[in-house]
Amino acid sequence: MNGPRILIVDDEERYRTTLTKRILERQLDATSVGSGQEALAELKRKLYDVVVLDVKMPGLDGIETLKEIKKTTPNVEVILLTGHASVDSAVDGMRLGAFDYLLKPCELEILLEKINGAFGIKMSRDQRMRQAEIRSLIDRKPS
Amino acid sequence: MVSSKKAYRELRRYIVIMLCVSAAIPLAFIGGGIYYEYQKSLSAKTEAQLTTIVLQHKGTIELFLQDIRSAMKLVTAMQPRQEISRQPVLEGVFQALQREYDHAFEDLGVIDTRGRHLAYVGPYDLLQRNYGEALWFKEVLEKQVFISDVFLGFRNVPHFIIAIKQGQGEDAWILRATISAAKFGSVVENVRLGNTGEAFIINKDGRFQTRPRMGGNVMEVMQEASSESLDLSTFDGVRLRRVEHKDREILRTKTWIKEYQWMLIVQQDVDDAFAELYTTRTRAIVVFVLGALMVAAVAVATTSLLVRKIEKADQEKKLLDEQLIQSQKLASIGELSAGVAHEINNPLAVIGEEAGWLQDLLKRNIKNAGLADQPEFEDSLREIVVQTGRCREITHKLLSFARKMDSVIKDVPINELIDEVVGMRQREAYLNNVTFEKEYDPDLPAVFSDPSLLRQVMLNIINNAVDALPKGGKVTIRTSPTEAGDSVLIAVSDTGIGIPRENITKIFDPFFTTKPQGKGTGLGLSICHGIIQKLGGAISVDSEVGKGTTFSIKLPLEIKKGAI
Repeated sequence: MNGPRILIVDDEERYRTTLTKRILERQLDATSVGSGQEALAELKRKLYDVVVLDVKMPGLDGIETLKEIKKTTPNVEVILLTGHASVDSAVDGMRLGAFDYLLKPCELEILLEKINGAFGIKMSRDQRMRQAEIRSLIDRKPS
Repeated sequence: MVSSKKAYRELRRYIVIMLCVSAAIPLAFIGGGIYYEYQKSLSAKTEAQLTTIVLQHKGTIELFLQDIRSAMKLVTAMQPRQEISRQPVLEGVFQALQREYDHAFEDLGVIDTRGRHLAYVGPYDLLQRNYGEALWFKEVLEKQVFISDVFLGFRNVPHFIIAIKQGQGEDAWILRATISAAKFGSVVENVRLGNTGEAFIINKDGRFQTRPRMGGNVMEVMQEASSESLDLSTFDGVRLRRVEHKDREILRTKTWIKEYQWMLIVQQDVDDAFAELYTTRTRAIVVFVLGALMVAAVAVATTSLLVRKIEKADQEKKLLDEQLIQSQKLASIGELSAGVAHEINNPLAVIGEEAGWLQDLLKRNIKNAGLADQPEFEDSLREIVVQTGRCREITHKLLSFARKMDSVIKDVPINELIDEVVGMRQREAYLNNVTFEKEYDPDLPAVFSDPSLLRQVMLNIINNAVDALPKGGKVTIRTSPTEAGDSVLIAVSDTGIGIPRENITKIFDPFFTTKPQGKGTGLGLSICHGIIQKLGGAISVDSEVGKGTTFSIKLPLEIKKGAI
């Protein structure tokens, strides 16, 4: 599969399942979990490209989860989903390495645009990393 | 309001009374003190004056008596009895004395020890007269010298007798002279002191020896003689008394003269003696009253000013309190709406997604065979999505409004800020047939200011504009930079009812409202005025009844540091 692998994290079950279904309907790979802890576990289990993360969640909230993600799997891009009142924390999240944020409720098309943007960034970064690895392998050989 | 008016009135009265009392007490003390000192010194002066006159006149009279007595003694010593008994010799002596004493002598007689005249010079024929039984005659035989009291005699002019005995036994003789009392009487009678001041002499029985100025004649008994106020007991020196006689208070100085036989009295009515004092007192009272009136006037004026200032300060404080309450209210409304909006967002998101999912499913079904009533489903779902979008816009606006409540100074794009506020009133305005017309300057520079305060001002002014159009109309909002380029201008005009001329000056006053009871606090424009001033700008109003009203706000591009 060439598309991004997407993980949706939201405590509102109906929202995340429907959103997942709609993304799947568009031939993209999407999985959803209901909390920050579950998201971290899922990321350990499987490789993902983009995480759509709700900021306001019980337990581990979006910002804490983001910090953890950036620690354990820094290569994953995160898009924050926020109610307007927590825009400030969304801005904090951007500072912590989130790709972008979106206000809830949002249109699916806009969300997909952002996901694609994040995926593009990750792809080009992955590519640069691979090239760098190859170069280091080539450089290492003569020595 | 009524009770506070009363409180201010009481405060005013209290301050006025305190000021007046605190000014009047020292004034009274100083005035009273000066008056007392003045009275004391004037009284001392008057007493000294009276005493001086008494002593002077005592000296004069005693000297006069002494002088005449000495002269007569000299005559008796120089002239033997045979000589002096001769009429021509006596006449010579008489002439000499008259020359010397300025015609003080009425007559002159030489009398033997039995009281018969040996010789006589004078205007009357007294040669045959025998003084053998006269009191003075008996006394002179005994005491050698006799000076009588003043009497009128049959000449009916005040005079007195001086008799001097010379020689011993049968050969003894007496030189007797009648002296006009007018001589020393006039000296005493001419004493003038103020209007009532006078001097006179009385004898031991209280008979006048000189004519008193204030009624009475020589030889008459002084009216007071029997009363206690005139003390005729003998004493040395000068006595000064204040006595009362027949409603008059008299300052009386007296001294005994002529070996305690006569009393010289100099007296003056107290009222007269102190007339100067009374004028001074009247003048002082006038000055005091004028001073007190002036103090009172100044106190009243100062207090009015003060109380007005206090009243104004109180009103401003009240306004500030109201403003605080108002902003707290706004803040809590903002918080509440933010909470509500946030809570609504989640179900709204679910609704949106569900509708989207249904649309997705429909699309999938088109590829397959399609459904009956497919267009109806599509239409209905589209509408759900559109309405969800509308709801989202409302909640987002509410949230952004609430979020911007915190006072932060930053670059504010004025056009966008106005749009935001207009957006909040758009729907309601639409229902009232009010349309908004925006004439923005697209290149308007951003203003470095407090967006939440500006939002509050704009909301108030736009609300007023919409309220002024109960039957619909147009609200025009213009923005432009000033010519100097250091400020921006915002003008909000309505085509409404306008403001009457008498209200236009009061429009920014706190608690001024033309809205019905309970509808307006009368604070809106006053708060706007306060905010704009705080932000370093100015707000003004221009209105014409029936045509509409324009509120103009001038905002500096940058507010002064420390203004907020």
